[in-house]
Amino acid sequence: YYVATSYREKRLDSRLSHLQSAVDEYNKAKNEFASKATEDEMRLLRFQKKLDDEKGAGLMGLSLQATMETLLMLGLYKQTDQLYRDFKVPDKRYWWLKLKSLAEKEEWEELEKF
Amino acid sequence: MAAHLSYGRVNLNILREAARKELREFLDKCAGSKAIVWDEYLTGPFGLIAQYSLLKEHEVEKMFTLKTGRLPSADVKNIIFFVRPRLELMDIIAENVFNEDKLHSTRDFHILFVPRRSMLCEQRLKEQGVLGSFINIDEYILDLIPYDGDLLSMEYESAFRECYLENDQTSLYHTAKGLMTLQALYGTIPQIYGKGECARHVANMMLRMKREFAGIQNQILPVFDTLLLLDRNVDLLTPLATQLTYEGLIDEIYGITNGYVKLPPEKFAQKKQGEASKDLPTEPKKLQLNSAEELYAEIRDKNFNAVGAALSKKAKIISAAFEERHNAKTVGEIKQFVSQLPHMQAARSSLANHTSIAELIKDITTSEAFFDNLTVEQEFMTGVDTDKVNTYIEDRIAQKDPLIKILRLVCMQSVCNNGLKQKVLDHYKREILQTYGYEYILTLNNLEKGGLLKPQTSSRNNNPTIRKTLKLWMEDANEQNPNDISYVYSGYAPLSIRLTQLLARPGWRSIEEVLKMLPGPHFEERQQLPAGLHKKRQQGENRTTLVFFLGGVTYAEIAALRFLSQMEDSGMEYVIATTKLINGASWIKSLMDTPEAQMH
Repeated sequence: YYVATSYREKRLDSRLSHLQSAVDEYNKAKNEFASKATEDEMRLLRFQKKLDDEKGAGLMGLSLQATMETLLMLGLYKQTDQLYRDFKVPDKRYWWLKLKSLAEKEEWEELEKF
Repeated sequence: MAAHLSYGRVNLNILREAARKELREFLDKCAGSKAIVWDEYLTGPFGLIAQYSLLKEHEVEKMFTLKTGRLPSADVKNIIFFVRPRLELMDIIAENVFNEDKLHSTRDFHILFVPRRSMLCEQRLKEQGVLGSFINIDEYILDLIPYDGDLLSMEYESAFRECYLENDQTSLYHTAKGLMTLQALYGTIPQIYGKGECARHVANMMLRMKREFAGIQNQILPVFDTLLLLDRNVDLLTPLATQLTYEGLIDEIYGITNGYVKLPPEKFAQKKQGEASKDLPTEPKKLQLNSAEELYAEIRDKNFNAVGAALSKKAKIISAAFEERHNAKTVGEIKQFVSQLPHMQAARSSLANHTSIAELIKDITTSEAFFDNLTVEQEFMTGVDTDKVNTYIEDRIAQKDPLIKILRLVCMQSVCNNGLKQKVLDHYKREILQTYGYEYILTLNNLEKGGLLKPQTSSRNNNPTIRKTLKLWMEDANEQNPNDISYVYSGYAPLSIRLTQLLARPGWRSIEEVLKMLPGPHFEERQQLPAGLHKKRQQGENRTTLVFFLGGVTYAEIAALRFLSQMEDSGMEYVIATTKLINGASWIKSLMDTPEAQMH
């Protein structure tokens, strides 16, 4: 329920507080997976906010995968790697993404690095 | 006009006529010229009942779509709103009426609720201060809509969601009511069987309604011998699988709504000499699909792999028929040939249409993606590696394939494995949320509530037993000349239809054990017929069963039932009814929740 309301909130801080309530509810219901996923989403939103402010990357509200994709397009490799580690993205999917994005940009140098 | 409805064993035109009569009576209540304002969702189902010409005969001069703001101007005396009983629609109506009042117009307003009026909606209109503006508030009971000669649908999209997610039994009430209407027209159905919670509820409601009308004896000789009520959640697997009949594939790829399909126009461009590709049509080609079309009736239920052969055979017959003209010598012969021309030309254009459709579908079914997907589905259905993370699904997520396709596969794996190991389930869920976005957590929750996705609770997996006892997988499915219903999914025999088949012969007692493994109770009820209405059955006469799918049915399942009706030794003919015609994609979509993200 809180999840649905959170999407109606245009402002970040109120959305985060709704999500926090959702985490509490999920904990009460002993739904570990959902509370972890919700915390991850809050973490992602804060990360997106920071980068949007610093670099104007336009990340807000994107999925994790789409965020990483955008960062790769912008050439922000360090931040992408950070997300990959922080959110424990499976290697297989990450490599697919990196391969595809870098090949599209024809960044062969960066590609060779991994 | 609706000839296709009277071809079948049971003349469904009677039902359609009854519905039309009621509509006419309502329209005549509002004297003078009229404009109808439509709840857009209703126009499709209404098209199956009445064409514009019928409305026109009753002085309907204009039709609008219900939307906010002001009504379009029209020189009519009556404005009639045709709406579903939904609160949000009431607000729009109130706004319409309010704006109209400001113009001091002298029009009369009416509302027709489909399928039932609702206290809540009238209350809402009252709150908005416009209830008094309506001269007639009426309901138009349209529960079961005749769809084809052997098919009835309520076109009630959210039935599965309401029953299994929201615990809302409104749709079951409509179902029971619809079945009562049907019995009033076609006689009391002596035997009722059912499997599932919802089936039980509907049967209970029917019996209660019958008691309430105890005084009135239905004097109609029963047309249906048996009613079988089946819950969709007894067989969650079948709709998830890709249908492989011709009609099923058309629905999977292009979607059939209210008997119509929209196709990409390129293939249907009329090729005329001189004006090459100058003006290709850009509007999608809209085709009506039902058994009134001879050729379509012949091929719709075939496995797609048998459609090509059927089409080329038909092509030969048609061109042979055209060749006949050279043999026509006498005036009489020529006359006879000419009289057949319109029929032959219709057949030829229908052949051209279906050849084009078949080509379009073939492009897709022969693609690698389609083949890979089908291979994984078939592995799941035969129980191969259903307990671990599937690499094909992982790859498809990494490639960001459409989410519905992914969900369909994951759900299928879960259903086939009687739930997934917690670790496997969490892995899929994380993959989906990280790739498609956190908002889909609501959708995943819904799928879990509906039982399509679940963690394994016991190590016992009943599926192999069920599969073996009910012979759900046939290694040697014959697609060209089928001898078993498994041809509709090229190997997999839909569980729902196996249950139906076994009920007719040898009876459910033989599969008691398996029935207990499937969710919900199974039961049998009898309805007393007044003396003298017991049918005296002649030797070799077929019995008729009405199979009602609560929560939706697919075209492939319908095809399988039609196949059973045609089998010479089955002794049973089937008429099919459902809350909604579905396929895997439309079904999953009805279970999805996607809040609009507005933050930027």
